[in-house]
Amino acid sequence: MKTGVSGELLNISGLSFSYEKDKEVLKDIDLKAVDGESIALVGANGIGKSTLMKLMVGLYLDFSGDITVAGHKMCAANLDHIREHIGYVFQDSDSQLFLSTVEDDVAFGPRNYGLSEEEVEQRVAKALGQVGIENLRKSKTYKLSGGEKKLASIATILSMEPDIVIMDEPSVALDPRNRRNLIMVLKDIRGLKIIASHDLDFVMNTCERTILLDDATIVADGATKDILGNEALLQAHGL
Amino acid sequence: MNSIEKKLLELNKIEDIQQRSHWMNSLHPLGKLLISVIYILCVTSFDKYDIVHLILMSVYIIFTFAIGELSFKEGIYRMRLILPLLIFVGIFNPFLDKNIVLIAGYEVRGGIVSMLTLVVKGVYTVLAVYALIATTPIDDICYALRIIKIPKIIVIVIMLIYRYIDVMSKEADRIFTSYRLRAPGQKGIAYKYWGALVGQWLLRSMDRAQIVYESMTLRGFRGDFIPSKKSVRALDVIYPIVWIAIFMIIRFAVTG
Amino acid sequence: MHMADALIAPAVAGTMYVLSTGAAGVSVKKVREESDESKIPVMGVMGAFVFATQMLNFTIPGTGSSGHLCGGMMLSAMLGPFAGFLTMIGVLLVQCLLFADGGLMALGCNIWNMAFYGCFVGALLIWRPIMKKGATRAKIIAASIIGCVLTLQMGAFSVTIETLISGISELPFSTFLATMQPIHLAIGFVEGLITSAVLIFVNEARPEMLWGVGEETKKEGKLKFKTTIIVIAVAAAICGGFVSLYASAFPDGLEWSMEQVAGTTELEAEGTVYETAESIQETTSLLPDYAFKDSESAAGTSFSGIVGAFIVAALSAVFCYAFKFFRRNTETKTA
Repeated sequence: MKTGVSGELLNISGLSFSYEKDKEVLKDIDLKAVDGESIALVGANGIGKSTLMKLMVGLYLDFSGDITVAGHKMCAANLDHIREHIGYVFQDSDSQLFLSTVEDDVAFGPRNYGLSEEEVEQRVAKALGQVGIENLRKSKTYKLSGGEKKLASIATILSMEPDIVIMDEPSVALDPRNRRNLIMVLKDIRGLKIIASHDLDFVMNTCERTILLDDATIVADGATKDILGNEALLQAHGL
Repeated sequence: MNSIEKKLLELNKIEDIQQRSHWMNSLHPLGKLLISVIYILCVTSFDKYDIVHLILMSVYIIFTFAIGELSFKEGIYRMRLILPLLIFVGIFNPFLDKNIVLIAGYEVRGGIVSMLTLVVKGVYTVLAVYALIATTPIDDICYALRIIKIPKIIVIVIMLIYRYIDVMSKEADRIFTSYRLRAPGQKGIAYKYWGALVGQWLLRSMDRAQIVYESMTLRGFRGDFIPSKKSVRALDVIYPIVWIAIFMIIRFAVTG
Repeated sequence: MHMADALIAPAVAGTMYVLSTGAAGVSVKKVREESDESKIPVMGVMGAFVFATQMLNFTIPGTGSSGHLCGGMMLSAMLGPFAGFLTMIGVLLVQCLLFADGGLMALGCNIWNMAFYGCFVGALLIWRPIMKKGATRAKIIAASIIGCVLTLQMGAFSVTIETLISGISELPFSTFLATMQPIHLAIGFVEGLITSAVLIFVNEARPEMLWGVGEETKKEGKLKFKTTIIVIAVAAAICGGFVSLYASAFPDGLEWSMEQVAGTTELEAEGTVYETAESIQETTSLLPDYAFKDSESAAGTSFSGIVGAFIVAALSAVFCYAFKFFRRNTETKTA
């Protein structure tokens, strides 16, 4: 069962990772995050943002260094515990939503964790309510618009009631209204949020803290307004 | 509208009927699946000259289409895919089968009767499957397949294929359209682009499958999709029993 | 090449279901043994991919016509024969339900005619032996074309046999065969070309994705498995032969089994069997004699029988539509 965790939810120290030998995608990453924070991960294309996030959820385990999620050390034996605490919203909603109705997809996680049908029902209703798409409950996933798909994807993660929500480029391909709506929805999500995005305006609106990645490591970590306000810094790192 | 868009539209139409609220749609999928299979078995088991029983078997089709408010036109339209083989197989019967059979006191060439029964069987079986799919979403059919112990890997694969048909078809449409826009006057994709065009798409699809897998495991996937249980009401049991009884009576008790 | 329900007798359909179920059982076991859950979404997405590629038209050089991709062969070259076979089952079921391509009862036939040959014969007996020492462009072309042509020929042959055994067509065996085989020769060749083009691209971009390439150096256990498959194939052929004999004598399997179970039947089963046997005999001779059947046989149908059946059908139509009409009226009134 999930244990109540407060304070420090994520602790990464000395993290290095490479897909191929001698080609480090990430090296010596140190990162601490506490409950309630919203952190943006920014950096040029292919700089390792997605890799870092996938490491946080344990999709790659052959890294060096330490990752601790909600008090659990990242290793194969702890994956089930860790994944109860952390949710990942993929960039491509069609890959995230693999069942044919919204309802089934949102219920997928809770059912896999062995909740009773009543609990699953409550979780689904609550998650759909949080993102404001109760009306789409019975809809076919493929018939949703881009904005609706994104909200449904987020609901599939919220129904697992994670302490940490990770999002990969959530604002991509959304029209202005859906984008504003998404900002509102994100503000209401509690816990620790980590959002990778190229959309700096979106980052301004959703995250207080920003981490800038370049050259396989963290080059800046601080308040969003300081980092995004520093034109020279952004220019120097390909943004 | 190109053929891909047409196919997607057809898919859309079916799903719209599946989602309407009608008592036939809310029947338990296993019952409807059983009725359909037994109906098709009965229809195809009749002798090639046996017109009477075939006429009687229309009762089910008439009932489901009339009471189920399904469109005959849509159902018949689905004949087009199997029609060529059906015609090829049946068209020579009138010339080759010179038996004379008595139909309603008239002497009729056997080949004409057998061609007719073949077409009627074709229509019935296609309409019966349409009646099933128009009232039962694929996910519900998968639920029924699980009850009759079809291995879960097959059932999950069916659900995934169904989910990604739309995504992949739209991708096919985009690929084909962007190709045609730059290759005016060509009906299909030219030989030298076959590999790169489909190959790239295939690799992209494999990558997508990887993300789908990641998304599943992150939400606790351990090799199974756990379905929500469907309750069984009295009507769910009575409805198939009544129909199967009617089919059996027509099949075995009524003599033409 | 999709078979329709109307073209086959239940006995033939049942037999083919049994054979296909057997192959599916072996495949499920094999895929489970790999216990690689990540294969499941790959199977699903690739199934949808095959489905979608079949909507694309490929222009055949030198002709105005177009061809499609050979699904079974391509899937097996990517996923291996077992996962490929299970994926094709899914594709065929979805095609049958959503687009009436094939039929629910004919599904067993279609799985056998298209998926079994394409995946097992194509991948195990052609693709893997050719790719044993690594893949080259020429080898991929050879394997794809031989595989597609051969498996399509086997499929077309099966379609012919299944239809004729079912006693639906009056076409002489030779005519039917002489039509089906050449058409599918051309189709198989084109499908082979398209399949090879795609697989060559995959081999150049991500060779590790191809199945069964350079497997010779791996464990010896594979050989044992190959023998198993050959045994299964031979058993299937023998089984198929026996079933053909049985089915040609008793095309009406349902009736026959009814008699077996109940011991008695009011169905004049003997008459039907006799009639059918006779008609098959006549089918095999090119132009059967002018024959006349009396009204007592199953073929003769009385006037009252026809009229009665029509009355029942008409009454049910009237009743159903009347019910609908009145209900709609009350609905509009209450609304």
